[in-house]
Amino acid sequence: MSQLGKIADSVDSYNQFVSAEIARARSDPKFAAELRTRWAGLRASVGLTRSPTGTPLPRLALPETDEPGAIAEYLFGQGFPGQFPYATAAYREMYLDTAIGTGEEPMRLFAGLGLAEDTNARFKYLSRHQKSLRLSTAFDGPTLYGLDSDHAGVLGKVGEGGVAIDTVEDMGRLFAGFDLTRKDASVSMTMNAPAPVILAMFIAAAKRRFGADCVPNLRGTIQADMLKEVQAQNEVIFPVDASLRFLCDMIEWCVPNMPRWYPVSISGYHIAEAGATPVQQAAFTLSNGFTYAGLLKQRGADVNAFGPRLSFFLDCGLDVEYLVLGRVCRRIWAIGMRDVFGADAKAQILKLHTQTSGRSLIAAEFQNNLTRTAVELMVAYMNYTNSCHSNSADEPFTTPTEKYALLASHSQSILLEETGIFKHTMNLFGGAPGLLALERQVEQRILGVFREMDTLGGVIAAMEQRYQRSQIQESGHRIETQIYSGERPIIGLNKYVSDEPMPSVPLARTSPKKQRLQVERLRAFKKKHAKKTPDALQRLENVTRDGGNVFSELVDTVEVCSLGQITACLTGVVGKFRPMV
Amino acid sequence: MAVALNPHRAVRSAAVSRVPLRILTAVPICDGHDSAVTAINIELARHGIEVIYLGYHQSVSAIARAAIQEDVNVVGLSSYNGGHIIFFKEVVDRLKQGGNGDIPVFGGGGGTITKADERIMQRQGTDRIFFAGTPFKDIMALIQRDYARTAKPNAKFKGDRALARAITLAEQNLATRHSLRAAPAQKRARSFVVGVAGPGGAGKSTLIDELTSRFLLKNPSGRIAILANDPSHPDTGGAILGDRVSAIYAQDDRVFFRSLATRGSLTGLSAAAPAAIEILKRSGEFDLILVESVGVGQESDPFGSFGHGRCLTDAVLFVLAPHYGGLIQLQKIALLNGADLVALNKCDHPMARTAKAEIQARLNQNGRGQLLHSTTAAKHFDSGVDALFAAIAQLGGLSNSSGGEKPCQLEVAP
Repeated sequence: MSQLGKIADSVDSYNQFVSAEIARARSDPKFAAELRTRWAGLRASVGLTRSPTGTPLPRLALPETDEPGAIAEYLFGQGFPGQFPYATAAYREMYLDTAIGTGEEPMRLFAGLGLAEDTNARFKYLSRHQKSLRLSTAFDGPTLYGLDSDHAGVLGKVGEGGVAIDTVEDMGRLFAGFDLTRKDASVSMTMNAPAPVILAMFIAAAKRRFGADCVPNLRGTIQADMLKEVQAQNEVIFPVDASLRFLCDMIEWCVPNMPRWYPVSISGYHIAEAGATPVQQAAFTLSNGFTYAGLLKQRGADVNAFGPRLSFFLDCGLDVEYLVLGRVCRRIWAIGMRDVFGADAKAQILKLHTQTSGRSLIAAEFQNNLTRTAVELMVAYMNYTNSCHSNSADEPFTTPTEKYALLASHSQSILLEETGIFKHTMNLFGGAPGLLALERQVEQRILGVFREMDTLGGVIAAMEQRYQRSQIQESGHRIETQIYSGERPIIGLNKYVSDEPMPSVPLARTSPKKQRLQVERLRAFKKKHAKKTPDALQRLENVTRDGGNVFSELVDTVEVCSLGQITACLTGVVGKFRPMV
Repeated sequence: MAVALNPHRAVRSAAVSRVPLRILTAVPICDGHDSAVTAINIELARHGIEVIYLGYHQSVSAIARAAIQEDVNVVGLSSYNGGHIIFFKEVVDRLKQGGNGDIPVFGGGGGTITKADERIMQRQGTDRIFFAGTPFKDIMALIQRDYARTAKPNAKFKGDRALARAITLAEQNLATRHSLRAAPAQKRARSFVVGVAGPGGAGKSTLIDELTSRFLLKNPSGRIAILANDPSHPDTGGAILGDRVSAIYAQDDRVFFRSLATRGSLTGLSAAAPAAIEILKRSGEFDLILVESVGVGQESDPFGSFGHGRCLTDAVLFVLAPHYGGLIQLQKIALLNGADLVALNKCDHPMARTAKAEIQARLNQNGRGQLLHSTTAAKHFDSGVDALFAAIAQLGGLSNSSGGEKPCQLEVAP
C-alpha cells in the first residue's frame, strides 16, 4: 500500500474513533461528566457581542446541546475552531471584527499587467482601498515559462495577462515604494516552474532595498506547485524529477531562512479550472500535498519544521460541493499529517487560499459575473478560507481593468465589513445538518479517489499513467456536454438569453512600445553584466550537476543573470520536460 | 467555449470516402491552455479529419515547420493568454516567406480575441477567428467547406514542402512517378532506413525522439527523417496524430517529421509508406530515416523483414516494454526473429530484470547473435539509448563520434 492508501485508512479509523467516542459518551457516565465539564468551560469562554440593531450574539456559535454524544460529535468530529481536526476553522476568530481590526485581512487581489511599473501602479491603486498591504502578483506568459522578453516569438506576450519580469531590476521596480518588511505586508506570487529563480530575484531585490538582514521578515507565498502543473496547467519546463528537486531545495532553504514565507501553495485551482469536479480537485490537491510532505521527509527534513510552511489554494465555483470543500480538506489534511506523518499541531493545519472560479465567468452578458463571484465569495468565506481573491467580471476578455478590479475588491469588503454575516459571530453555518451530510459524502468520495490512485502506485505513478489528466479532461468534457444540452443552466448563455448586442468593453493590453522597452531594459542588463554572467552560470551548473542546493546558489546567480539565461543553463543540465499527449 | 462533446460517438459523414482533410492544431508559445484545443481535436477527428496536434507552448518556427512538413490544408491556433495579434501575424508571415502562403491560418480564443482584433488579424493575413459560443457543428461545416481540397503537384514548392507534397500525392494515390520526379536531385549516396515496431505503449515515440537527439548531437550537419504511422479511425476516417507533442527534439530544421494516418491499411503502415520512404531516400537529404509503425501484434511484420520479399527498410528495431505477459507470449512474437535490433524500454521498471533475461534467452534461440538493448527513454541522457544509437550508427555507417558537445549546446526549442 502506498502512503495514500494509509492516509485513506487513517481517516476511516479516525471516523471510527469518533463514533466510538460518541457511543462512550452516551454509555459511560464518567466520560459524559468529563465532556460536560469541558463543554461548559468552552461555552463560558465565548464572549458576547451585539449586532448594530441590538441583537445579542455569541462571538462563536456552538451547538445548543448538553447531550454528551452531541458534544463528542462536535469536539471530535468537527473540532472547536483552531483545534483538531480543524473542520470548523484553522484559527479561533478568523474574520470577527476585532480580528480584522488587528490587521489579519484575508483579501488578496491578484494583479499583474504590462511592465513592472504598471503593476506597481495597480498595486498602489488597489492598496489605497485595502486596510493592509496585500500584493498578489500575476506574471506574463514568457516569465511563467522561464523565457526572457527577447526570446524569439514572445514579444506579443510580453506584459500580457501579467507582469513581465526578466531580471532582479524588474523585481525592484515591481515593489518600489512598498515597505515589504512591515508586519502587515504580504506578497504572493503565482509562479511555478521558474519559482526558485523568481523568489531568488525577490530576495535579491529586497536585500538591495532593505539590507541583507531583511530576509527573515519577508512574508508571503510563492505557488511553486509543479505536480498540478504536470497534471493540469502545463507550465512545465524541466523533467518532473528535476522540477521536484528544485522545489524541495527551495523549501529546505526557506524553512530556516524565511520563517514567515510559504514556499509552496499546493493548488487545486488550476485542476478545477481545467475541468475537474470539486471532489477531484480536493483529492488531487491533497494527494499532491501529501506527496510533497513525503518527498521532504525522504530527504530528511523535519515534518514539524516544514509542515507549517506548506499552504493550499482551492477554487470555489458554483457546484454544491463547494459549500463544504474547505472544511473537508482541512479535516483530511490534519488527520493524515497527525496519524501518518506524526506531525505536531502546527504542522497539521491546512492554511487555505481561495479564488472564485474563473471558469464560471462567461463573456455573454458578462455583468452577471459580478453576481457569480459574489456568491462564490460567500461560499469561500463560509469555509473560513484564510485568504481570498475575487475575480473581476471582465476577465473573460481581458486582464482586469481598473474599474472591475476595484469592484471585485469591494465585493470582499462588502461581505466582510458591510454585512453582518461574518463579523459578529464565528461559525454561523458550520455544523448544519445539510452541510454535515454533504461533508460526509464529499469526504468519502475523496478517499475513494485516494484508493484508486493507491492501486496505481501513488500520485507520481498515477501521473506517469496520465490518470489525473484524463480524469480532469473527462470531467471537463462532461461540463461542456451539460452546458450544450442545457442540463447545466448558464444564465445568458443557454438560458434566459437576451438579444442585446455585446457591449464594447475596455481592454487592458500592453502596447508594442512598452514591450520593446522591456526588451531594451533586458539587453542593457545583459550588457552590464556580460563579464560576470558566464562564471555565475558555470557555478550554477556545477551545483546543479553535483547535487547541491540549487536555490542557495540562485540567490547569487540572479544578481548578474536574467531569467532566460538561468532557465537555459538549468535545462542544459537536467533536460527538458516532455509533454504527455 | 460552449461546445457539445461526445468522444465515444462517431460521426459518419460523406467525408469518409474522400481524401481526409489534414489540419495542424497548436497553442502559441507561453500558453498552456489546452482544454479547448483538446476538445476540438476530438471533434475534428470525429468528423473524418486528420488532426496533427503539435501541443501547447509552441513557437512560430515550430508551427510553420510542422505545417510545411505535414503539408496540411490549414493551421488552427487556440490562443487564450493574449498577444494573438502579433503571434498570428508572425505565423502567417513565416509561411509566406518560405513560399507556403497557400496554407491558411484560423484561430479561436474564447473571449480573449475580440471582433476588433479579428479585423486587424484578417488584414494581416489570418483567415478567420471562431468566437466563443460557436457550435461545433458550425465550426466543422465551415472547415469542410473552405479548407477541403485535393492536393495537386506544385513545381513552385521547394525544400521540405516539395518533399511533403510528394508524400501527400502518394497518400492520395496519385501517380507516384510524378511525385518522385518532383523530388530534388540526389545529394547523399544513401540513406540508412530503420523500421521501428513494437506493441502500443512500449515507448516507441519517446525512444525515437531520444534517438533523434543523439543523431543531432553526433551528426552536426546531417539530417534525419521520421515517418510516424498512426491508425485512422475505422468509422470516421479521422485520426489524431499526436506524436509531435512529445517529440521535443524534432523541433529542429535538421529533422523532417511526417505523420501518416493508415487510412484503412491494416499492415501497420500507411499504404503510402513505401512511396514516402522512396521519396525521402531519393531526395538525398537524409542520413537516417526512422519509420515508426503503429502498435503491432504478435504476428505483424510491417516492414517485410522475414525475407519473403523485399524488406522496406535496411534494418528493423523492435521495441518492447517489460509488460509483455510472460515467456509464452514472448515465444509468439514473430518480429523477435526478424528484428536486427531489439530494445527493452522502460528499464527503470521493477519487472525489467526478469524481462531482460527472458528476452535475451528468446533472442539466443534465433542464433543470429541479436543483442538486447536496455533503454529508459523517459530518462534524459540515458546511457542505454546512447548504446542503442551507437549500434544503429554502426549498422548504417553513421557518425557516432562528434561527441564532446555539451548537452546544453543542443538547441531545444523554444
